[in-house]
Parts: sequence; C-alpha cells; structure tokens
Amino acid sequence: MASSSDLENPNTIASLPYSYAPLPDREQPTADEPTVVLHPKKTAIFLVCAFLSVAFLVTLMAGNGHVVIKNLTTNVAPSTVETPTKTTPMSRGVDKGVSEKSFRAFLGADNSYPWNSNMLGWQRPAFHFRPEKNWMNDPNGPVFYKGWYHLFYQYHPDAPVWGKIVWGHAVSKDLVNWQHLPIAMETDQWYDEQGVWTGSVTILPDGQLVVLYTGSTNESVQVQNLAYPADPSDPLLIKWVKYPGNPVLVPPPGIDLKDFRDPTTAWKTPEGKWRITIGSKVNKTGISLVYDTEDFKTFELLDGVLHAVPGTGMWECVDFYPISKQDENGLDTSVDGPGVKHIVKASMDDDRNDYYAIGTYDAYKGKWKPDNPALDVGIGLRYDYGIYYASKTFYDQNKQRRVLWSWIKETDAEASDISKGWASLMGVPRTILLDKKTQTNIIQWPVEEINSLRTNVTVFKNLELEAGSLVPLNLPAASQLDIVAEFELDERTVLRLNGGEVAYECAKNGGAGTRGALGPFGFSVLAHEGLIEHTPVYFYVAKGVDGNLKTFFCADQSRSSTATDVDKSIYGNIVPVLKGEKLSMRILVDHSIVESFAQEGRTCITSRVYPTKAIYNNAQLFLFNNATAATVTASVSVWQMKSAKI
Amino acid sequence: MKFSSPHPIFFLILVLEQTLIFSSMADKQFIINTCKSTPSFKLCLNILLSNPKSQNADLTGLALIGVAAVKAKGVNIIQHVANLKKSQPELKPALDHCEDVYHAVVDADVPSANEALRGGMVKFAEDGMADAAVEAKSCERSFGEHGVKSPITGLNYDMNDVANVVRAIIRMLL
Repeated sequence: MASSSDLENPNTIASLPYSYAPLPDREQPTADEPTVVLHPKKTAIFLVCAFLSVAFLVTLMAGNGHVVIKNLTTNVAPSTVETPTKTTPMSRGVDKGVSEKSFRAFLGADNSYPWNSNMLGWQRPAFHFRPEKNWMNDPNGPVFYKGWYHLFYQYHPDAPVWGKIVWGHAVSKDLVNWQHLPIAMETDQWYDEQGVWTGSVTILPDGQLVVLYTGSTNESVQVQNLAYPADPSDPLLIKWVKYPGNPVLVPPPGIDLKDFRDPTTAWKTPEGKWRITIGSKVNKTGISLVYDTEDFKTFELLDGVLHAVPGTGMWECVDFYPISKQDENGLDTSVDGPGVKHIVKASMDDDRNDYYAIGTYDAYKGKWKPDNPALDVGIGLRYDYGIYYASKTFYDQNKQRRVLWSWIKETDAEASDISKGWASLMGVPRTILLDKKTQTNIIQWPVEEINSLRTNVTVFKNLELEAGSLVPLNLPAASQLDIVAEFELDERTVLRLNGGEVAYECAKNGGAGTRGALGPFGFSVLAHEGLIEHTPVYFYVAKGVDGNLKTFFCADQSRSSTATDVDKSIYGNIVPVLKGEKLSMRILVDHSIVESFAQEGRTCITSRVYPTKAIYNNAQLFLFNNATAATVTASVSVWQMKSAKI
Repeated sequence: MKFSSPHPIFFLILVLEQTLIFSSMADKQFIINTCKSTPSFKLCLNILLSNPKSQNADLTGLALIGVAAVKAKGVNIIQHVANLKKSQPELKPALDHCEDVYHAVVDADVPSANEALRGGMVKFAEDGMADAAVEAKSCERSFGEHGVKSPITGLNYDMNDVANVVRAIIRMLL
C-alpha cells in the first residue's frame, strides 16, 4: 500500500493510498440526502415533554448542542472508491522501437495470474534481512557491540501479519550476512503483555548497554520500560533482563495513553545527564517530548517539546542525531558543537512515510528548530520516496558512521503473504551524511559491505541511446543486480529547447510512458522480454521557464506485474543536480525489492515488485530512452549479486 | 430528600427522560457524523446501527463494530463458497481462490485489525481493512480469469464496500 503524495498533504478519505486496478464498472448507487428519523415512540415522548417543560429544555439544550430533526444536507462521498481514469497525453516526436503501449498502465486488463509457489518462491530476496518466516516490522536497538552488529526487530512469530509483537534478534559481522538468534524479549510482563514494541539502545561510557522500549500493557497503555543484557560479557547478547521497577515512564498528563511510544537512543546534556525524546501528538500536531535522566530509571519531563509541527499527526519512531557539517564520518549521538547540525526524523502515522529535517539543537533548552521551516519534519524531505517506514539510525563506532535501518513492508495481498509464509524486509542499511554540496539535504548510500556480494561485472561504456530507444542488456541473470550508471543528455538539444512550466510529478504523470523532450530515460528492471511486465527506474528532465533544468527521479510500478492484487504506484521526487554534475543512479535489484538511488543518494526510492512472468530466467534488464528529442549517452556497470547468508 | 409537592419529582423525571433522549440523539449524531466521512453514508449507518453496541461506542468502538461486520461477511462468504463447491463444481478453481483470500481476511486481517485497534496501533487496522477490499476484488476477478461468471458478485462488491467504509472510520483515529 503506497502513498503517492510526495511533498503534499497526507491522504484524505477521498484519496485512499491504494492504486489497485478497479473492479469492472457496475451501477453506481445514487447519492442520497440522508435523513435522520427517530423511532416513532421516542418522537411522541419528545413532543410531549417539550410541550410540558420548555423552560427546562432551554437550560438542557445549552449543554447538549444543536440536535434537531431536519433533513441534513450533506456532501455524500461517492459510494465506491475507484481509481480515477488516467488521461494519456499525446506523444510527441520520434517513436522508434519503444511502444508507448508497453509503458502505459494497462487498466482493466483482467489477466492476472493466480499465484503459484514458483512465483511466490521467487519473491524471496537474496541479500535483504528478514526472519525465516512470518511477520516483521520496525528495526529496534541496532548497535555494534563487542565485535558484532546487532539488529533487533518487531516480530510476530505466529503469522505473516502484525499481531502480538516480540523482539526478534540477529547478529552480523558485516551488516550483510546474518545469524538468527533466539527471541530477545517476550510479552511476559504485565507492562508489555500486549506487545514488546519499538525501542533503542544507548551505550554508556563504560561500554554497558541499556535498552528503553515501549511496552503495551495488559490494558493497552503505552509505557516505557528499561531492559539490559543478562550477561554483558556475552557478545551475542542472547539473554535480556527487564528492570523490576518497570515501567520507568508512563504517559504524562495531556498525552493520550496510546500516543506515547518509541523512545530514542539517549544523548548527553551539558549538565552530564542523559536525554531522550519520545514522539506523540496533541490533536493533529505531531510532537516530540523530552526527558532527562541520570540512571534510566527516573526521568524528568522537560517543559515544552523538542519540536512540534501542526497538522502532521502522530510522530512514531522519532530519531534525533548530529551530523557533521564538514567531515565525512558519522557522529556519536552525544556529539554537539559548532561543526554540527542536528536531524530530527519522524515516521508519520498518517501517511506512512519517514520525514527528516536539518536544523539546530539548543542543548540548554532541549529544543530544536529546522533550518528551513518550509521543509519541516513531516512536510518536507523524506528519507525515501517509496516504501520505507519506522526507520532508525545508530552510530557505528566500529567504522565511525551513522547507519540507517528501515522496515520495508509488502505491497501485495495478505493471501500471498500467507501462502509464502513471510511478510516484510529490512532495507539494505545505509550510511547517512550531510550533502556537503547542497547543504540542504542528507545523502544516503548502501553500506560498503554490500559491495562484497558483487561478482561478474558487465560494463557498457558510452552507449548512445537515441530518442525512443530500448536496449536489452545481455546478462547471465537479472534478479540479483547492482547497477551503477551515468547519463548525459546531448547538449545541443538541451540548449535549443524552449523552457516552460514544469508541472511534473512522478506519481501523477503517467510513469515512463509519458514522453518529454528530455526524458524519461533509465532502466527497466525485472523486465519480461515483451515488456509485458517491467519496472522502469528513470530520470525525467524538464527545462524550466528560467532555462534551468529540473530533474525528477522515479520508479514506476504501474506495469511491474500482470497480477492485479499488487500495488502499482509510481514513486519518486525531484532530485537536486548541480552544474557540471552528470546524472547518476544506482539500483539494487533483489527479487521483489528494488532500491534506487540518484545523485549519490540525494533521492532514494525503495519499491516492492511482484512480477508473475519476469522471474527467474525470464527476468531481464533493459536500458531505455523514451525522450522525444534528446539523445542520452549512458555508461553502465552491472554486477551480479551473490546471495548473502540470512 | 423530602418534597412538599410532586412537581420537583415530575420535573426530575422529565429531566432524566430528556437527558436519555438527548444523549441517545447525541450518540446517534456521533454515528451520523462519523458515517458522513466514509465513502458510503448509508452503508456505514447500516453497519453501525445494526449493532446495539454502537449506542455507547467511541470511535474505536465503532471501528471495532465495523471490523466485526467485515468478519461476519467474510465468514458468510466462506460458507457460501463451500456450498457452491458442491452445487457448482465447475467453478472450483475460482472458488478455491476465493476460499483462500477470504480466509486471509477472516484469519489474518480481522484479528490483526482488532488487536491493532485495541492497542492504539491504528495503521495496522487500516492495512487490514484495505487488504480485505483487495481480497474481495481478487476473488471476484478470479471467476473472469477462469472464464466463468461469478455467482457471488454482490457479496464481493459488498465486502469491498464495507471494508472501504470501515477503513475510512479507522483513518479518523489517526
């Protein structure tokens, strides 16, 4: 299920985020004016009482409001939710070898496959983390400890759907190959009986670890609990102990009992205390509460909040961390100073996307302000423009980098998840740095260890793709790939083109089948040879009125599968491209998950793709230039990716 | 309390009676307001008012009533499909698929949604109801894919519509 809005407001009722093909037309019930009809007996009593005691009624009504019998005129929403029919723009210019039909969404095609075990089996990724079976969501407590990378995660052991959640656990030496360990924490206390929910690890100065996590109590109240390793000398941290005095935090006054979760890693205050932040909301304003503590057992709630943004709804999985303004390494969460900016990130419950903002932290007041209020938390930049939620970073002291984990859910039907026996993945962990060139966004990049899976490279240098060309790349296989490419538009066409209003949006402009003078161009991954199924990942360049180019980076699932019970949204966003930069992209293809990065990680898109035909030996990779005017020169390296041990 | 005349008692009874009527009208107004923001006002009223618990329910309670309605419809369809397998065995491939997808609704989506609503993890309840609509469409389609006419079109469309209404109610909790 995907939200197709980029920087726009979260969904309204009228635009539910699914973009599944609609059922065939049928008679629409007419919109009625609803009437309020009281039971006749009650009407009689009402009239009698009204007649007898008008004075009393007046006093009562003052408290009870405006309840009267009348025909209510309302705007009744249409009674079926249908996806709007797409308008297909006229294609201009040369049409060589790329049929627009193959790029256009094929609405109404009732030729979906019933899923067989072959198709479902193919969907299992080779180098993305997941438990052996059933359901996973948020990453929890990621940390590097005594030589091992630890990942905990929200785990439902009983079914491939969310339910009573425990902490799953796995360890790795390299963030790529994993060893599954026993469940770290179960729902065995009254204060986490309904779920051992998300939490974070803090490493104390003496090297000890503590965990703060949210428990859903036996009465479904959200509280924060303290836990620590039973044996700190065990590098695998198999057994955990819950502090007997739990919970250490309960919802404060004014905060709903179910709006208080996901405590962060703690950082040091100028007074030498520890500080954490916990997301919540007040009406529709998303907020982050701040607590100080010296021992992780008693906490002091600070006045006010770290930050708040009206209209954004509940802030889940808040993350708060410093980034260096000039260095190329990550920073420990407690670092502060003049060379440092701070990121506030939150997962917006309303629209299921992770947003971040760069700003300035006031350690004395415990408050943070965004550098650019127009790009504030929840309304500005997203970590990823596809499926990416509940993400969390940690400072990896082993390699001095800040690493980002994220939950990637399924976007297929639950029935398929039950058949295949699992649901959800983690994205490939990414390093996070401030983009030193733009200064206004971060860059994310798959951890370097993932390159250890690269093998068997195929290189294409300076391929000239004329307008309207489609080039199959001859590869031994195409389900597990690491693609790195650079593109250049031909200068002549760019210069002689007249600029105009650029109103392009990845989600709304019809995907890779919509042709412009300067785009789209890029790759079709998980493509069937007839392009009956394919997933274009591409740049769309447009020239503005001022003569400057705007570049969009999109991933188009609208033709990704002939199945009709999978999400077929188009994701993406504008990507900043500075003068003199070539256009570059990297794509990790791993069966049913595709992670795409533009301009070294300025704009990232994670997609879930469920082809029925473009699988196993029938999956191919194409290069295409669907622009009408420009020639594109591409240089490409494609590695086959080995499978990781997961 | 001692009254010198029956009038205060009379008024007291009137007050109680009117409070009852007004509060039940107020509850109904709450249901009406809730249903106004769903894709199908009438269907929403139908679902909620046919369950007596809706009288005193808060928004979470209304959502749970909605999920219960989805479950009831799912169970009903599964039973229907089982009967059809006997009476119309030529439809078996599509019916098998429908059985699978409606079990996903009843055995996975519904319990997950209930747990999510009780715990305040609303988004998972929304996902469950969104999926119920997808499964209903998937069942309906499978008849066409197998070149036969669906005998349960009404039931499938009904499930799709109900699931979308319940999803809309759940979104109001976010």
